[in-house]
Amino acid sequence: MARLSFEEIELGDELPEVKPDVSMPRVREFCKAAGHYFSRFIDHEKAREQGLASAIVPGIMSQALLAAIIHGWGQDVTVESIDTVFRAPIPVDSHPLFRGVVTDVQPDARIAELDLTIVNDAGETRVMGTARVRFP
Amino acid sequence: MQVAGIKKEWVGLEFDTAEFEVTEADIVSFSRAVGETDPRFLDPAHPDFQAPPTFSSRFVSRRVLPEAFPHIGSRGFDAGKAVTCHGPVRAGHRLVAHSKIADVYEKTGRSGPMVFIVHRMDFTNQDGELLSTVDWRMVRQPDLK
Repeated sequence: MARLSFEEIELGDELPEVKPDVSMPRVREFCKAAGHYFSRFIDHEKAREQGLASAIVPGIMSQALLAAIIHGWGQDVTVESIDTVFRAPIPVDSHPLFRGVVTDVQPDARIAELDLTIVNDAGETRVMGTARVRFP
Repeated sequence: MQVAGIKKEWVGLEFDTAEFEVTEADIVSFSRAVGETDPRFLDPAHPDFQAPPTFSSRFVSRRVLPEAFPHIGSRGFDAGKAVTCHGPVRAGHRLVAHSKIADVYEKTGRSGPMVFIVHRMDFTNQDGELLSTVDWRMVRQPDLK
């Protein structure tokens, strides 16, 4: 696959939409890797006992998934910053859709700014964010 | 509850320091779990092997809030995280995280008033280089009367 160059991107470009894996096995793998092995993330029944509708994807996993999607779009970019707002939980075993759009391009610094969103199966925004990425 | 008073008293106060070791295995397992495909995050033999940008978000301090911080409410949630990457986090780094309250502010939502508390962790390596800043926005909702 051809690598995206800074010269190819334009304001308004959309990143490819991605449906990342937030199945229970993958979330457990993440929680183990991150050291956040808490029942509200890894056990639907125990999450319900805590008042949640189901187990939820950790916020830091949503953020890390967004970063991985940025790397899938601009393979050589450096993420200088990423800010995510957790508006509502993402259920484990759901099928959220991750989207991104280029909102600013700064040629002198080879910087692009992105708006990021994660929507649920009903099309409701669950997580939104911004990122600043630098191209080589 | 006076947010202005809390802000004046607590913002900028450093209240915790914690250390974290970064290993190759930690970086690879984190990267795999979030679907990174770039070898710079997966292959320890890569010349630029490093942790993904949000890796430091996994670390938590020993205290969420300073001792004696005012009780605002029992209800709360994680409103978001912002990560600023100043340099790559690499295997072998011994990170030192300094925690402070970076901001306190109030908003009103559909569920009533909310107080946002921003817990900032600045991560430096063993050479004192600042590598990452993580701002964790916590929301506290005043208890119902």
